[in-house]
Amino acid sequence: MNWSRIRLIFVREMRDQVRDRRTMFTIFVLPLLLYPFMGMLMLQVAQFHSEQTVRITWIGEENWPTEHPLLNSQDLKDKDSLVHWNKLAYKPDDSSPPSNWNELGFQWVKSGDADLVFIVPPEFTESWKSTGQAGLLKTIVNQASDRSVIASQRLHAKLDSWQRGWLRDKLSSSDLNPAIIDPIQTFQIDVAPQETKQALIWSKLLPLVMLVWALTGAFYPAIDLCAGEKERGTLETLLSSPATRREIVWGKLFTVMSFSVGTAILNLFSMQLTSSFVINQFARMGANETVAALGPLPLSALTWLIVILLPIAAMFSALALAVAALARSSKEGQYYLMPLLLAGLPLVLLPMIPGITLSIGNSAIPVTGAVLLARALIEGQYRESLIHAPIVIAVTVICCLLAVRWAVRQFESESVMFRESERFQWSLWFRQIWRDRAATATANEALLCGVIILVALFFGRMSFTSSQLDWPSITRSTIAIQLGMILAPCLIMATFMTASIRRALRIEAVRPHDFGFALVLGLTLHPAYMLLSSAIQHEFQFGAETRELFVYVDSLISAAPLWSVILTLAVIPAICEELAFRGFIFGGLIRQNGILRAILVSSLFFGLSHGVLQQSIGATIMGLILGVIAWRTGGVVCGIVLHMTHNSLTMIVSRAGKTPDSIPGELGWILQQTTEGIAYTDAWLAVSIFVSAMTLVWFCLRSSKVCEGQGDVMPTTDQNAKTWWSLFRMSRV
Amino acid sequence: MDVQEFGEDGCPIDYSLKSREICPMEMVEVNELTKSYADLTRGKFVAVDKISFRVSAGEIFGVLGPNGAGKTTALRILSTILLPSSGSVHINGASVLTEADQVRRRIGFVSNNTALYDRMNAREMVEYFGRIHEIDEDLLNSRIETIFTQLRMADFGDTPCGKMSTGMKQKVSIARALVHDPPVLIFDEASVGLDVMVARALLETITSLRDAGKCIIFSTHIMREVERLCDRVAIMHRGIILDTGTLPELSERHQQNDFEELFFDLLTRYDQQTGTVAV
Repeated sequence: MNWSRIRLIFVREMRDQVRDRRTMFTIFVLPLLLYPFMGMLMLQVAQFHSEQTVRITWIGEENWPTEHPLLNSQDLKDKDSLVHWNKLAYKPDDSSPPSNWNELGFQWVKSGDADLVFIVPPEFTESWKSTGQAGLLKTIVNQASDRSVIASQRLHAKLDSWQRGWLRDKLSSSDLNPAIIDPIQTFQIDVAPQETKQALIWSKLLPLVMLVWALTGAFYPAIDLCAGEKERGTLETLLSSPATRREIVWGKLFTVMSFSVGTAILNLFSMQLTSSFVINQFARMGANETVAALGPLPLSALTWLIVILLPIAAMFSALALAVAALARSSKEGQYYLMPLLLAGLPLVLLPMIPGITLSIGNSAIPVTGAVLLARALIEGQYRESLIHAPIVIAVTVICCLLAVRWAVRQFESESVMFRESERFQWSLWFRQIWRDRAATATANEALLCGVIILVALFFGRMSFTSSQLDWPSITRSTIAIQLGMILAPCLIMATFMTASIRRALRIEAVRPHDFGFALVLGLTLHPAYMLLSSAIQHEFQFGAETRELFVYVDSLISAAPLWSVILTLAVIPAICEELAFRGFIFGGLIRQNGILRAILVSSLFFGLSHGVLQQSIGATIMGLILGVIAWRTGGVVCGIVLHMTHNSLTMIVSRAGKTPDSIPGELGWILQQTTEGIAYTDAWLAVSIFVSAMTLVWFCLRSSKVCEGQGDVMPTTDQNAKTWWSLFRMSRV
Repeated sequence: MDVQEFGEDGCPIDYSLKSREICPMEMVEVNELTKSYADLTRGKFVAVDKISFRVSAGEIFGVLGPNGAGKTTALRILSTILLPSSGSVHINGASVLTEADQVRRRIGFVSNNTALYDRMNAREMVEYFGRIHEIDEDLLNSRIETIFTQLRMADFGDTPCGKMSTGMKQKVSIARALVHDPPVLIFDEASVGLDVMVARALLETITSLRDAGKCIIFSTHIMREVERLCDRVAIMHRGIILDTGTLPELSERHQQNDFEELFFDLLTRYDQQTGTVAV
């Protein structure tokens, strides 16, 4: 790559964007105006709540006990009082019957003539005098009116104060200590410094604001730089210049990233300035403790946020660029913003869930890990941050590179860059799918199949949840899910969208020794996988309820016949899942040299199909290995053998744990009984990891046949180094 | 003392764009070029079907065909914007498949929509592409001055492209394509949408570039332009070249002196032979 050319493209794009008034307004001017405007609005709302005068119509003041008046003379004399009292007699004179105050009060409040009507009926005094207990009071309010709600709050504050005073007097008159009203007094010592407390609230709020603006700031320039350039026809001119597509993407990426970072920083600064001002004002107005604890945004928090912002902005920018490249026009580009925002938002919102803190598992989640790291840094947890920072950095860098790689691929794709607007017709589309069927699925069809499987699994699992949990019901639901939700979609799609079901599902004959090596890998990979599973479960612990359920299901499985368990939980899932994920989906994604894409995306779909987070993580990692095997062997059979062996071992080892005496003495060097159940011995763990690693290396370096037309051309032995080098080159961005 | 510069084609570079001796060497070699892609309506659609031609330095080669004939697709492949499905294209010896970078340095591409950055002025636009071609700063400035003088662009050098007339924009496009002094220039329906005066000026500019020894490929669907401008012409229809030659050669071969009639007869005959219906 020629960096001077990238710089040249970057400078031009920056200058072009800076000259665009609309972009400048959206990205730079709007944030500067937005927060002061919001601050002004908040102040006005607060002012409304604290200074708004309300009107209370009090009917039946004469019924209130005279020895304990509700209002003192000051309340009534003060013209600036926040409550204007309008008093009406319950019975205007002794001769007239009482009006229907409920109905009248309802009309007054509804029409806005009064904000609240407070009725003290004659029974109130009677009850008071006869029993000494308070009677029933009535208030008529309009909860949909702010003024009415404020009036209600002020009246109840008055009534509460009156009640305490009355109680105090009663206790005094009965020679009792009025202090017994408050039998307990607590004195709290808070160890958190004021700055940390301020940071705590900001640390939850700011990353969300920052990331939303980083994404928004990235997207609008990305649309202009991709879709806008397509629309204007300038992209063609640039593509015929010596600048390579990769250089163009990097030049544009730096521009989009600058705007993303700039927008987020401007927002933060604008927010900092406004919040300082607004919070000071609130403090002067005597605001509550929360507002007082909030304090102005600490500068250290701002610094940490900016540090975290850079890699996240890079990732969002690359994603925005890749998505915007799909659009043919700026208008079309606008439609893609919301899906991208919605896809990113859960990762930003996840850290806001109470109890989610920086841990090894959480730090490995893209964006979420970075947000949690920012939060830990803002809260001053430097030790925790230092421990988890490498994982967060590694995950963020990998995601960045993948996003950039995607953007480069978009720019290299003729169908993306030069696709012309066509009127979409369902009939034409179906006809095209049938007419242009290839031997394997296309990448889009593979992605669609993955999504269909996930959606079907979501609804399928919910509908198969029965109140009665026994082995037959587990068998039925597992077989139904595997056949109906996983195998059926890819089988249907393979039938109607491809010319050869066998090739679409990658059912290829394997060499006997491939079969043997897959079996060995399945046997030797299991101990390492068990270790990984327990590490994952340690990091992301199951809740008590889930754990109980798992124990119960485990007991059901142990009690069932072994052949039935192996068939239901090992053989059928291995066949169905491999045909779907390493067959149809993998075969579609690997077309046009998408080896890396096929391995990563198929393993991600495979992981997500497992439903439970802990299983999903392990399955995704296993999916990567299965993906490599599927790539190197050119079919699904070895994957099925590996998968089946692995699942069968899980069942057998689990069952052996229930009856340790049944383990033959010869297997003592492989399995051992521990306090937590059955486990592999350290010796076998070491041996198996070594053997599985060697087997995997063998698969990676093996010679193979050519699967023509699928795009996954298998190299001969002497070409292996070249193939791996090309894979490495493809992974570059 | 003046130092004579030589281009990559071995010919002396004359920045004054004056007439020079033509090097009779083949600059563009297209062999069995095919391009197909998937289309919602037509399925696998062959836009360019095994076309072959050669163009020499100092020659204007016209690619004439109706809309949808595959001219733009073919020229986009020549300028490395699209990749061929099969066949080969060499520009001054460099392959579009394996030496795309070298090809891009040897061509200047002017497309039918005057594609300029609206927020840049003419000088910035030409400078930008000159820098992308990594031309030395002093040389770039002198080239810009020369091109601006030749194309009479000095008056609107600082005008933003968004505020220019179509004729001005076309001149900037040509200046942008000329800034790195490429031996091959590709004009893809460059005269579409221009008024008579601007179109005439464009044709004059192209003629002068040919006289300066440039190899020019000029695609159009306007027959008068071909008659006035092109040394040789390829008639393209439905992705294939129906015939190639000089105008007298074509007239003699098809026994038709009226070029418009000749063109129409060729297309109709082809459609009748293949049983396709003219759109």
